[in-house]
Amino acid sequence: MGAIFMSLVELRGIKKYFDKVRAVDGVDLEIDEGEFLVILGPSGCGKTTLMRMIAGLENPTAGQVFIGGADVTALPPRKRGVSMVFQSYALYPHMNVFNNIAFPLKAQRREKKFDRRAIRGKVVDTARLLEIDMLLDRRPRQLSGGQRQRVAIARAMVTQPAVILLDEPLSNLDAKLRANARDELKEFQRSSNITAVFVTHDQIEAMGLGDRIVVMSDGKIQQVGTPQLIYDDPANEFVATFLGSPSMNILRADAWSFGFRPENFLPKTLADNPENSRIFDYYVKRVEYLGSDRLVYGYIRGRDSELTLAKVPSNVRVSLDVDSDYEFAVHNSDIKFFDRVSGQRIEHQDLGGVV
Amino acid sequence: MASVTGLSNPRAYLLDNRRFVGIMFLLPALVYILLLVGFPFLLAIAFGFSDVTVGNTDLSFVGFRNYEAVWENNIFRQVFGNTVMFTLVSQFFILIFANILAIIFTQEFTGKWFARFIFILPWATPVSLAAIGWLYMFDTKLSPVDYLLLQTGFLGPDGVWGPGRNLLWLARPALSQVSVIFVQVWRMTPLATVILMAGLSSIPTDILDQAEVDGSRFMRTLLQIKLPLILPIMVIALLFSMITMFGDMTVVYLLTRGGPIDYTRILGLYSFQIGIEGGNLAQGAAMALFAFPLLLALAIVMLRVASRAEVR
Amino acid sequence: MGILVWILQHFWTLLVVGFVALVALRIAWRFRKYGATRAELSYVIRRSPFYLVVLVFCLFAAAPFLIMFMHSFKTDGDLYRRPQPFVYRQEPTLDHIEALFNNTAYLDFIRNSVVVGVAVVIITLILSLPAAYALARLTGRWGERAGILMFLVYLVPPTLLFIPMFRIVVMLGLKDSPWALIVVYPSFTVPFSMWLLQGFFKAVPPELEEAALVDGYNRVEAFLRVVLPLSLPGIVSTIVFTFTLTLHEFIYALVFIADTRQRTLSVGVPTELILGDVYFWQPLLAAALIIAIPVGLAYNLFLDSLVQGFTMGAVKG
Repeated sequence: MGAIFMSLVELRGIKKYFDKVRAVDGVDLEIDEGEFLVILGPSGCGKTTLMRMIAGLENPTAGQVFIGGADVTALPPRKRGVSMVFQSYALYPHMNVFNNIAFPLKAQRREKKFDRRAIRGKVVDTARLLEIDMLLDRRPRQLSGGQRQRVAIARAMVTQPAVILLDEPLSNLDAKLRANARDELKEFQRSSNITAVFVTHDQIEAMGLGDRIVVMSDGKIQQVGTPQLIYDDPANEFVATFLGSPSMNILRADAWSFGFRPENFLPKTLADNPENSRIFDYYVKRVEYLGSDRLVYGYIRGRDSELTLAKVPSNVRVSLDVDSDYEFAVHNSDIKFFDRVSGQRIEHQDLGGVV
Repeated sequence: MASVTGLSNPRAYLLDNRRFVGIMFLLPALVYILLLVGFPFLLAIAFGFSDVTVGNTDLSFVGFRNYEAVWENNIFRQVFGNTVMFTLVSQFFILIFANILAIIFTQEFTGKWFARFIFILPWATPVSLAAIGWLYMFDTKLSPVDYLLLQTGFLGPDGVWGPGRNLLWLARPALSQVSVIFVQVWRMTPLATVILMAGLSSIPTDILDQAEVDGSRFMRTLLQIKLPLILPIMVIALLFSMITMFGDMTVVYLLTRGGPIDYTRILGLYSFQIGIEGGNLAQGAAMALFAFPLLLALAIVMLRVASRAEVR
Repeated sequence: MGILVWILQHFWTLLVVGFVALVALRIAWRFRKYGATRAELSYVIRRSPFYLVVLVFCLFAAAPFLIMFMHSFKTDGDLYRRPQPFVYRQEPTLDHIEALFNNTAYLDFIRNSVVVGVAVVIITLILSLPAAYALARLTGRWGERAGILMFLVYLVPPTLLFIPMFRIVVMLGLKDSPWALIVVYPSFTVPFSMWLLQGFFKAVPPELEEAALVDGYNRVEAFLRVVLPLSLPGIVSTIVFTFTLTLHEFIYALVFIADTRQRTLSVGVPTELILGDVYFWQPLLAAALIIAIPVGLAYNLFLDSLVQGFTMGAVKG
């Protein structure tokens, strides 16, 4: 048969029902080796449940989990070769940092014939990699948030697992630390070439970290792809509006709706290709100055009930007065069309009679 | 296709199985308790329908004769009445005192630690040893209480409570009942207080802060916020101490042995005296069983009330 | 000894003077801190009814213990002849306390109580630690029902069970042996400690156990290595209260054991030191007080932990 390319983690038809609640409702997914995969979705979309099923902390109602080509659906977490970083970090408060990191190694002591020296060596190496080797004697409560996160990652890395699962590990850090931690995490993953699955509800985190992003909602996968693909070419209305801040403007027609992102909705004078653009009469109601951008609230004439936003860079000298009308343009390729019923993307429609 | 290497032997993973470990962890305790309580319980029922005595060990079935005998026994009726009366009256006072004390001890004040130590003592001391203290307090001749009354003019030749130097706390019908109830209230109030304190301290501070912001004063907060919120736990406290009282015989056994005549005889003591001291196991068991439907009904009603009143 | 004599002879005076002095000191300290202003004075006055209530309750609670202390050292003549319970007319004596330890089975009672208590605590922990964890985390709805069943079992009073229990104990040949108590006491200590421990286990964050599962341990190991060490304070307070439950128990101990030397404290003291209607008051009262004080201290020390376990079990149960 020859070498068949096998993804490292594969989910087939995974479902998880809690009583009547369908937390995960039929998920198929392949995760490649060395990949940084982000599962993104609003709270309650089933992303954490999905990750817990990869870890083995939750048994799927239906479907199978494969890791490294083997069906691990019936295996307990400890037999799956995965490790996990919890949202709260779940450091053992009664052990110091050294023992926290050594804890997974001690579990394998008999199986892999680790002696005390080998364990110490591995712990120190991992700690050095994460620059926490001077904290080994401390207890978790004596550590800062960032240090705790590093200890949690060290504990997850020390056994060199096939996959590392991260459940919103940055959400407990304050905003300043978070950007830094994100950068370090990505750098660390790239250099160690480990496969990572990262769950988050924060799209900036997802866009910044993910080689690929899985967007989930209502227990189902909405779209899988690179950050750019998902942002520029959303598969449906949910993905289109969930990503981007402020979110995409959506305007309704009879059988379909169309949308465009606020940053693509610019005064006509700024449009680089007015011939291929759609021009709207735009009434400006209010302007928020955000520093680098101006956020404009208003509506398209004839569409007075649908609030439409524009994001205009501050460095272009176009004056936008409140209570005035302007001509705004969107490039035709930036307008996306969706089915009103299913929400799925459809091909370009004629906007002539609509606006 | 996928080589199945991981699934060697599912039995090796029993210790990872939540349900299996749960059953294995729970089973020993469950079996031990059910054997230790369930078996004697069934035996008690069997005894109730038999003529077993300490000397004659073979059970022969006598139907409801024991229960008829018990029910027609005038002493038993009084004993049953005493038990109910003692329980209800002492619960009334216990609840009042426990509420006051729980409110006191959920506040901060100087000397709280020591005050709490003192007020817990009656509950911490083994009942029988505490009863010794009260036995002395109520002694026919030596009673320090009588001495105080004598000094303050309530007792003695010109005293309002009689010409004698002693009140004879445990030898007079009504007074002996008062004494027994007093000791029960004294020793059970701390437990009820602790349970209520648990309830009070579990009220979220947000709610109390909100009440304060809304302009609620101490009494209003107490009556309209704290008490309704701890009602379920109050019912549990009541249930606990009622059932403890109903099933207790230590205090009366040591203070009065049921006397004078039968004024302080209660169910537990009487069935002990008939069943063990008198050797008539069958009648003793039948008597004890009379209390069971009442206790069960009490427990069910109270648990119902507690779960219905549950706010969260 | 001289100091003790002096203290006993002036017991009530000392008590009152000591209390008044403490109150005065406290008020003086407040005045120094906040200034002896009229507002401060009115605060002290407003606060005094509260303290008065506390004082009255404390007096009621403490009365028999104060009396116990006072009378443990009285000579027979002082105690019985024209009794004046609140003063010493003759020198206090340690004779009765020495007699309590030397001439009675008091030490045997203590030893029996400790042996029974320790054995019951061990059995109780072995049974209730895993069971409480199962109720707290592992079992779903049927575990909840089992928990309620256990709670109801705890409510079955000993007066209902002691007659058939007596028969069983006799049949097993355990009558007059502490083993009878060791076997029977878990019937109420296990449900009690399960209820408490369940509350402590629920307070451990579930992620810690899940982390242990992912880190390579099975559920039993996760329980032993993570949950148990983290619940240690709760377990200690469960041990304390289980032990005192056995110390308190009276009815089974009275029914199962008739041999003086095998009796435990709760039954031994009141039955052996009272002969018919002859009460050996001083040793009786001393024997009661010697047990009451340490148990009271232990209760006070672990009360907060007990309350915490109780509420966790109730709120999240």
